[in-house]
Amino acid sequence: MSFFTGPVFRIAMTHLISKKRQTIVAMLGVTFGIAIFIFQAGLMSGFQTTFIEETINTTANVRIYNDVQEARKSILQLNSSDSKAWFLIHNQKPKDEDPQVKNGKQILEIVEKDPRISGVSPFIGTQALFRLGLSQASGRASGVNIERENAIFDVGKHMKEGNLLDLETVPDGIILGEGLAMKLGAKLNDNMTIVSPKGVTLDMRIIGIHKTGITELDNTRAFISIRNAQKLLGVDGSYITDINIKLKNIDQAESIAKEYHDKFGYKAQDWKSANESIFGIFKIQNMITYLIIFSILIVSGFGIFNILMMIIYEKMPDIAILKATGFKDKDIKILFLTESLVIGIFGGLLGLFVGFLMQKIVGGIKMDLRGFVSMEHLKFNSSPAFYVFAYCFGLVATALAGYIPARKAAKVDAIDILRSK
Amino acid sequence: MPENKYILETKKLDKFFRDPVDFQALKNVNIAIKRGEFVSIIGSSGSGKSTLLYVLSTLDTDYDGQIFFDGDDLSKKTKNELADIRNAKIGFVFQFHYLLPEFTVIDNVMLPALKLGKYSEPEIRKRAQEKLAMLGLEDQAEKKANKLSGGQQQRAAIARALINDPDIIFGDEPTGNLDSKNAQNAFDIFKELKTKYNQTILIVTHDMNLAAQTDRSIRLHDGEVVI
Repeated sequence: MSFFTGPVFRIAMTHLISKKRQTIVAMLGVTFGIAIFIFQAGLMSGFQTTFIEETINTTANVRIYNDVQEARKSILQLNSSDSKAWFLIHNQKPKDEDPQVKNGKQILEIVEKDPRISGVSPFIGTQALFRLGLSQASGRASGVNIERENAIFDVGKHMKEGNLLDLETVPDGIILGEGLAMKLGAKLNDNMTIVSPKGVTLDMRIIGIHKTGITELDNTRAFISIRNAQKLLGVDGSYITDINIKLKNIDQAESIAKEYHDKFGYKAQDWKSANESIFGIFKIQNMITYLIIFSILIVSGFGIFNILMMIIYEKMPDIAILKATGFKDKDIKILFLTESLVIGIFGGLLGLFVGFLMQKIVGGIKMDLRGFVSMEHLKFNSSPAFYVFAYCFGLVATALAGYIPARKAAKVDAIDILRSK
Repeated sequence: MPENKYILETKKLDKFFRDPVDFQALKNVNIAIKRGEFVSIIGSSGSGKSTLLYVLSTLDTDYDGQIFFDGDDLSKKTKNELADIRNAKIGFVFQFHYLLPEFTVIDNVMLPALKLGKYSEPEIRKRAQEKLAMLGLEDQAEKKANKLSGGQQQRAAIARALINDPDIIFGDEPTGNLDSKNAQNAFDIFKELKTKYNQTILIVTHDMNLAAQTDRSIRLHDGEVVI
């Protein structure tokens, strides 16, 4: 006779059905716990994935640049042979050093041949003042080869208006970040000017509006062609400040960055160290989320524990007569464990469904979120792993919560109850 | 295999309660119950008659001495083996009926047989119906146990005790919670089980009137058997 047609399972189901209200309350406890689990974990992970994706899409996997701020040794120090000598140089200022990556073209060619690399893009970055009539805003002008840039950062995906490739064909084209355009009150095809820190002024035409979702970038960045950036800085045609690299496998970023640093002598930064502070925040965020979820599941565990204890106290006579008629301690334990697991299994299934529904409903609400990143909808990570994990966790919690009452029931002394008074 | 003449036999049976104070509840009890006997245990309250019944019926395992059930020494059995013996060979009727209130009468009667698993479920149902019919409850079978009258509930409990065709039925004041008419009624059933089906029965009672109707009485006084 299988367990499901046997008397123990039948008694368990009868107990649960006859105590409908308590059973449902206990189930809802599990349902709630698991639904919140899926909702919270999905929300957190969805947000983080979106953010990381956007960040990776806008940060080079490896960026080679000339870090002029790096403290350098004085000439005196470099030329001294006495290692024990002291040097006191007051008010040492950085040399007027160009942030140029010299031999940029050659580095570009070498890097391009590296089989681990999927794309390379030269870059010139400079502070600039953007003006449209009387309104003005400061930001950064990014001189790029738009085709290469697009291959690395998928710039085209984020174009709100205009055509990306016009940057190559329109000689005075500029693509503004959405926030920057808003500050200036600029629209597509408006004419505007850029002023560089060196005082060079260029007349430009807005050929596109761009929005990545990362507020900081959208508020300050504008794309122009490399040629125009060089004009703006008054430099020759081989001048670049950065080389952005996209890797086939982003996990290699750290080692490749180190390798290039040693090879070319310029600073090479990988995407992880560039965004270190953010990943630190994510870690804490995850910890908080899982703590909250954990406490919710503990609360629902206590719900099950309570209700089973109530059932057991009420069912003492049943337990006693079952034992007298030949049910073993083990059978009684299984009986109440079955009850808690049935609560867990069905409450959990409902929880998976409710969690899914909550994600769909909340994810469907249109909202204009602006902050760290801007999104139109909350994004959820509805990976099956979360559902599996939440469900298993729920079952373990219910089994644990059911085990103590079940053991207690198994230990009930039948004689105490059955004995005539 | 020759059946033992005695279904139940004790040798130098002692029992102590340690809590709250040391107290000897049974002193050197040596009794034997033959197959087919209807025996009552009598005595004033506190004489140890219920204690003896629970020790004999394997529910209480904390005793000194030996108990032979159908020739087997019970003191050597594990708890699980004792549970199997209770399931297959012992029927219980208590002062209160202890039917599971959410189950129908027939389900209650069937439970010990389902646990035993000797017969298929339809067969068990058929047998349960027969037992209920024997006790005049055939038309109550599908009712919830808690919808029956007190006398009917006790008869259903007797049917439950009979379902696995036990070697012996133990009754702890089985009529104690019934009015005199129902008590006599239930008692008549026991007598009929004995005469018609040669059922071995051992009951604890304080009702001398009923005890007088059994084959013999074992009188306990302060834990000792007095004749």
